[in-house]
Amino acid sequence: MNKRIFVFGAVALAAWTLAAPANAADNELRVMVHSSFSLPKPMLAQFETQSGLKLSVIKGGDAGEMLNKLILTRAQPVADVVFGIDNALVAKAQAANVLEAHGLPALAGTVAGAEKQFGALVVPVDYGYVTLNYDKAAVAKSGQALPKTLDDLTQPAYRNWLVVQNPATSSPGYAFMLATIAGMGEEKAYDWWAKMRANGVKVAKGWSEAYYTEFSRNGGAYPLVVSYATSPAAEVFYSKEKITESPTGSLSLKGGVFQQVEGVALVKGGVQREAALKFINFMRSAPVQEALQTTMWMYPAQSSTPRAEVMRHAQEPTTFESMGTDTIAEKGSQWVSRWTQVVLK
Amino acid sequence: MMPGAMTFKSRLGRGMLAALPLLALGLMLVAPLARLAWQGWSGAPEFGQTANVSLWSVWQDDYLRWRVFWSLAQAGVTCVLALVLGLPVAWVLARFEFPLRRLVLRLLMLPFVVPTLVAALGVLALWGPHGVFSGWLGVSLQNTPWLLLYGNLFFNLCLVVRAGVDALNQVSARQVAAARSLGATPWRAFWRIEWPAIAPWLASSLCLVFLYCFAGFGLALVLGGQRYATVEVEIYALVAHELKLAEASVLAVWMILLTGGVALAYAAIEKRLAAPSRVDPLARRRPQGIWQWVALAGGLGVLVFFCVAPMLAIVWRAVSAGSEAWAQVLDEETLDALWNTLRFSFMALVVATVLGVAHALVATRSVAWRAAAFLPFVVSPVTVAFGLLLLYPQWTASLPLLVAAYAVLAYPFVAKSLAAGLDSLPPHLPQAARTLGASPWRTFWRVTLPMLATALRRGMAFAAATALGEFAVTLFLSRPEWATLTTLIYQRLGRPGVANLDVAMVLSCVLMGLALLAFLVIEWPQRNAASERDATPAPRGPRVAVAAGHREKELSHA
Repeated sequence: MNKRIFVFGAVALAAWTLAAPANAADNELRVMVHSSFSLPKPMLAQFETQSGLKLSVIKGGDAGEMLNKLILTRAQPVADVVFGIDNALVAKAQAANVLEAHGLPALAGTVAGAEKQFGALVVPVDYGYVTLNYDKAAVAKSGQALPKTLDDLTQPAYRNWLVVQNPATSSPGYAFMLATIAGMGEEKAYDWWAKMRANGVKVAKGWSEAYYTEFSRNGGAYPLVVSYATSPAAEVFYSKEKITESPTGSLSLKGGVFQQVEGVALVKGGVQREAALKFINFMRSAPVQEALQTTMWMYPAQSSTPRAEVMRHAQEPTTFESMGTDTIAEKGSQWVSRWTQVVLK
Repeated sequence: MMPGAMTFKSRLGRGMLAALPLLALGLMLVAPLARLAWQGWSGAPEFGQTANVSLWSVWQDDYLRWRVFWSLAQAGVTCVLALVLGLPVAWVLARFEFPLRRLVLRLLMLPFVVPTLVAALGVLALWGPHGVFSGWLGVSLQNTPWLLLYGNLFFNLCLVVRAGVDALNQVSARQVAAARSLGATPWRAFWRIEWPAIAPWLASSLCLVFLYCFAGFGLALVLGGQRYATVEVEIYALVAHELKLAEASVLAVWMILLTGGVALAYAAIEKRLAAPSRVDPLARRRPQGIWQWVALAGGLGVLVFFCVAPMLAIVWRAVSAGSEAWAQVLDEETLDALWNTLRFSFMALVVATVLGVAHALVATRSVAWRAAAFLPFVVSPVTVAFGLLLLYPQWTASLPLLVAAYAVLAYPFVAKSLAAGLDSLPPHLPQAARTLGASPWRTFWRVTLPMLATALRRGMAFAAATALGEFAVTLFLSRPEWATLTTLIYQRLGRPGVANLDVAMVLSCVLMGLALLAFLVIEWPQRNAASERDATPAPRGPRVAVAAGHREKELSHA
C-alpha cells in the first residue's frame, strides 16, 4: 500500500509541475476583491458566458490588506482589475501607483456623493456608512435614553457601553476614527478618545470579534458597536425566525458616521484591459447593482436601482462626515499611531 | 549506524532524498521569507517606511517588548500547567486498570486533529461572554489571559499526558518493587525511581508544548484579543495591515532565533533518548479504596474539563442551532466547499507523505535535519503566504502553489513520526534482509516500511487533519470556487445575524467531524498493533507517541 502511495505521489507531483504553466489562459480575467465580495454565482457565470471570459476572482482579505497586496506585487501584478478600493484607500493606491486610469466617460445616474469621492481612477460601484449600531433590547433594559451626541458617551451613564474596532487592523474601525476626526477636529477628537478610554470603551481587533463577542445583541456586554448602517437590515435578512422589525438600530451622531464609497479600477500593468473594462461595466449593470445590496450589504451607486425590500430596515444617515482622500492618505497612518498611543498604550 | 541509514548506504541516494525536502523548504518557506525581509530592508519609501529599523528596536519599544515577553510567558505558563496537571493524569492512566482505559488513551489523540478555528470557537462557546461555563459561573473570561491559556491546554495537555503514560510504561517494575520493599513510600518511590526515568521524555514533550504555544498563531489571534495576542499576531498585523515589512521582518528574525533554539534543543533531547531496552513494566491494577478511585476520577475529570469540553461545546452549539442552520450543510456552496476541502487535503497528503518520508530518512543521523522539520511550525503561515505572493505572483491562485503550501505546512508530521519510528527500529531485520540478498530498495519496501506502517499512518493522520483545517494559506492563495470549509466558516463570521453565527457553528461541527473521520480512517486499522503495544510497551514507545503528538494546530490557524 505504501509503495502505491509513493508512486502515486511521485506521478502526481510530476503531473502538476508539467501542467502548471497552463494556468493563465488567454481569456482569463484576474479580479482582485476584498473578502466581503459576494455576488450570486449564476450572475458571475452569466457574465463569463456573455463576455467569453473566464473569471478568476482572488480574495485579498480586508480592503486594506487587499491594497497592500496590490502594492507589494505591483512589479508583477496578480490581477487585471480590482474591486473594493474605497475613498479611505484611493489616495494611498494612487501614491503607490498601482491603479491605471480607465478612460471611461463619467456614468450618468451615479449617486451624488459617490461620484465626487473618486477621481479618474476608480468607478464607484456602491456605498455605505460606518456608524454606531445599538441593541434595542439592551438599551430598553438599561432604562437609559440613547446618547444624543458623542460627548454624551463620555458621561458616567454610558460607561462600558461602546465597543469599537482597532483602526490599525480593521477598516470599519479606521473609518470610525476618521469620522471622529472629521467631525470634531483632530485635537478634540483625541480628547474624546482619551475620555472614552477612561469611560470604558472596548477595543476589538476586527468587526466580527466586536459584533459577535462583545456586542450585547450577541451575548456580549456592550450595547453599542461600530458597524454599518445596513447591519440592521442584515439582521432581519439573516434572522432565524421571520421578523418584521430589526433587533438592532443604527444611530447617527455627529462625528460618528463615515461615508464609504467602494469602486472598481484597472490594475496598472494588468494584461486584460478590454476584458477589465467589461468587468467594470458589469459591476455597474442593473442586475449587479440590485444583487449587491443583499450580498455585500451596501447601497447601489447607480441611483436608478430599485432598493431591495429588506433595505427599508437600513435607514441612510442624513448627515455624515467627509474628508478629502488626500488628507486621509497623508495623515492616515499618523492618526492611527496617535490613536494607538491615546487609546491602547 | 542507524538502521534507516543502512538501507541507503550510497551517498548519492541520500543526497537525492535530501534534495526533495530541502527544495520544498527552500522554495516554499525560506525563499518567501527572505523575499519579504528583503522588501522590508530595501525600504521602498512609499510604504511609509524609514528603513532605519535596527535589529534591537524590538527591545527598545515598550509595546513590542511586552508582546515578546507575553509570548514567552504564555508558552512557559502553559508548559508548567501542562506538567502539573498532566503528570498526575498520566500516572493514573498508566498505573490503574479500568474499563475503557484503552479507549481513553486513544481519545487522547483527538484534540490534535481539531482545526484551530474550530477549537477557538469551542473555547469561546464555553468561556466567551455567552459561554456555557461563564453562564453557570457568572463570569466571563473574555479579555483575560486565561482564554488563551485554556486554548493552549486544550491542545497541549493531551500531548504531555500521552508522553507521560508512555514514559511511565518504561519504568522498571523491579526497581520500583525493590524500592518499595526497602521501605520507600509510594511517593518516595515515585520521586526516586519513576521521576528520573520519565523526566527526559517529559522534557522533550514540554519542548514541543513550548514551541507550539510560542510560535502558534491561530489561537492567539482569536483568543488573545487586543491585549493578549502574541508576536506572531503582531507580525501578521504589521505585514497585512500596516505594510511595515522592515519591523515585521525584525520581529520574525527574533522569533526564528528563539524558536530555532528550542527546536534544536528538542531535536537534541529526542536524539539522545536511547531506544528503550526491554523492560518489565509495572502491572496495572484496579484502583483500590476510595482515594484511588477519586484520583482516577479526578484525572479523567481534568481531561474532560480541558480537552473534551470545547469539542462538546461546539457540538452542543451546532445541535441547538436548529434545522434551519443544518439545512445549509446540504446547499451547493457548502457541498462544494466540502469537496474542495477533501480534494485539497488529499492532494496535500500525498505530497506531504512523499516529502515526509524523504525528510525522515535523512533526519535519522542529523540533529540539524530534525530541527529543520520544525521550520514550518515556527513561521507564521500568514507571513509565508504573503512571501509566496511576493515571490511567485504569476502562480497566485494556481492549484499547485496552494497544494504545495498545504503540503509543506503538513509534512513535518509525517517526517517526525517516521523519524521517531526509524529510531526505534530493530536494526537486525533489515540487515538480515540484506544478507539474504535483497537490494537496498527492496529491503526498504519489504522490511523497513512495513514495520514503520504505524508511525507513517499516524503522521499521515496529523498531516491530513492539518490540511483539513488549513486556513491562512487558503485565504491568501485561493479563488472563490476553491472555498473550503474553513474559509466558509470565516465568511459566515463576517456577516451579521445570529443565523450566520449558527451556520458557522454547524460548519465547525462538520469540519471537526471530518477531521475525526480522517483520523479514524488512518488510525483505526491498527487497533491490534496498539493493543500489542499496550501489553508490551517496549521497544517502540514514547518516541512514536511523542512524535505522533506533533500536531500543529497553529498552522491551520485563523
